[in-house]
Amino acid sequence: MKTSINGPRTVRDRRPTRRMSRSGLILICAILASTILCSPGESKLVLDVDNPNLTKMPIAVADFVGEGGPLNGRTLADIIKRDLYLTGLFQIVDVSRSGQHNEPDFESWSQSGAQAVITGAFQVTGDELVFEARLYDAALKKQEMAKRFTGRIADHRRMIHRFADRVMEKLTGTEGCFSGKIAFAGEGPKELYFMDFDGQNPFQLTRNGSINLSPDWSPDCRSIVFTSYLNGKPDVWVLDLSNLRQFPISARAGLNASARYSPDGQAIALSMSFKGIPKIFIITTQGNIINKLTNGRGNDISPTWSPDGSTIAFVSDQAGTPQIYTIPALGGEPRRLTSNSNYNTDPDWSSKGNLICFTARIDGRFQICTIRPDGSDFRVLTSKGANHDPAWSPDGRMIAFTSDRDGRKLIYIMDARGQIQEPVSRIAGKGAAWSRNFR
Amino acid sequence: MSSRSVIHTAMLIVAVCVLIAGCSRPVVRSDGQQPGMPGFRGPHLGGQVSEREIEALQANLKPIYFDYDQFTLSLESQQTLQANAEILKRANVAVVAEGHCDERGTAEYNLALGDRRARSAVEYLAGAGVQPDRLSTVSYGSELPVDPSHNEAAWSKNRRVHLRVAR
Repeated sequence: MKTSINGPRTVRDRRPTRRMSRSGLILICAILASTILCSPGESKLVLDVDNPNLTKMPIAVADFVGEGGPLNGRTLADIIKRDLYLTGLFQIVDVSRSGQHNEPDFESWSQSGAQAVITGAFQVTGDELVFEARLYDAALKKQEMAKRFTGRIADHRRMIHRFADRVMEKLTGTEGCFSGKIAFAGEGPKELYFMDFDGQNPFQLTRNGSINLSPDWSPDCRSIVFTSYLNGKPDVWVLDLSNLRQFPISARAGLNASARYSPDGQAIALSMSFKGIPKIFIITTQGNIINKLTNGRGNDISPTWSPDGSTIAFVSDQAGTPQIYTIPALGGEPRRLTSNSNYNTDPDWSSKGNLICFTARIDGRFQICTIRPDGSDFRVLTSKGANHDPAWSPDGRMIAFTSDRDGRKLIYIMDARGQIQEPVSRIAGKGAAWSRNFR
Repeated sequence: MSSRSVIHTAMLIVAVCVLIAGCSRPVVRSDGQQPGMPGFRGPHLGGQVSEREIEALQANLKPIYFDYDQFTLSLESQQTLQANAEILKRANVAVVAEGHCDERGTAEYNLALGDRRARSAVEYLAGAGVQPDRLSTVSYGSELPVDPSHNEAAWSKNRRVHLRVAR
């Protein structure tokens, strides 16, 4: 039976419709006031993601109701389930009776143990897909959110991811990252690619027959800066995503590599060795030097910006082995951050500001680790195979990285605490970079 | 204006557009040559040395090898570079020192390490009398191993600087 799609509706109040007497009004205000004052604390559907003792929120996603075209309601629901599962914040629960999309079955949902429930309904007409999805608080028996999407059937994944991003925003205060793309450097051929964060829709970005490395997204998702040997040496190039044209911005003598856009997209930090040995420089997006940031006898590479643009973390072996340092973006003295092992590289600074992920060689093997910018709370997140090149998702909840634990060097993603780690790329790759959500 | 000058102007505009389009088209390497590997020629810079002389020079220049995580020159490497310097001082060619790492370690730091290895070689050659303006460096990090096996025998062959005669 097809469900008709109306606009988003809130649950109807049961207020009396006759005109109220003044005393009746006062009575209702009094009841409301006492309810608010005596309410048993936090009852809203909220995930406190910074709580170290966080337990996962049980959430159910009912099969979407509807039919038409190549889609089915189970597939659409499964995309949401996988998105939420991968954040490590949710326990996906089954609901035995989904109820109709606009008639929530709160009784059955409570029995299943779900704290939140998502339902949806969709309709296909020709090439067009319309769906509406809602988020319910099962305990309070309340609808929290309703969203409606229209688009082409071929874009159904992107539409569902956008809804899941809204669910994350509702439940945690921060938009999800499921609408982002992960760019990476392939291993054979060594061209640049991007894919949905979950590995779907892979796309080849470069076809220049050369070695291409270290992609980084501009904040507006319009450009990718990368290192390429197109002209026979490592130079920094920019790829314009609107037409896939590539042009060099730093082809100085020696090494030009590991370029990273500043958070406002106005500058690029990179490593260049044209003055002798690799040092960190800041350049404009046209390639003109703004500042030479580091000095000394070390080899300096892999800069990453703090989210407020004030500080840069980078790799230097000035103390004899590669370690991670921080330095003010306007210049100053470098401060060493890592000392847990004699090989720490690949720093990436979370957009939430409070964590840096990096690669560490521990007992001869490479693992992804996190540390706070003040050097505290060092954690090791991986343990199998060789793991390197970590990159935060733009909401700071997940990390993309390369691992060879299953034989090939694939791009994996994991939640920020390393509980769930899964491969997403279909081809071997490294140098993952996670874009902001595509609009 | 006359129709002839209109046609000439149009042809000029078309020619300029074709030139601009050509400049922005990326180079596609279809000849199977790989930088850093034997036989790679690199972009043709034009020069006065014959192709046969260049091939002879290239065959006589020997690679140098490094310890794990190191860019300093061993005694054996210094001796090899000394012999290479003697060859280069007698020839009027430019040389590119290509620095490489083994597959262990992380990709970006290996770019820096390969660059530093190449610089160590170039500084030694300059110190041994080779004109500095004929020397340049290219790092390939761990991207181009000569031996793709996953053992120390392969790794030690991959931690190298290869001197390529530039054309």
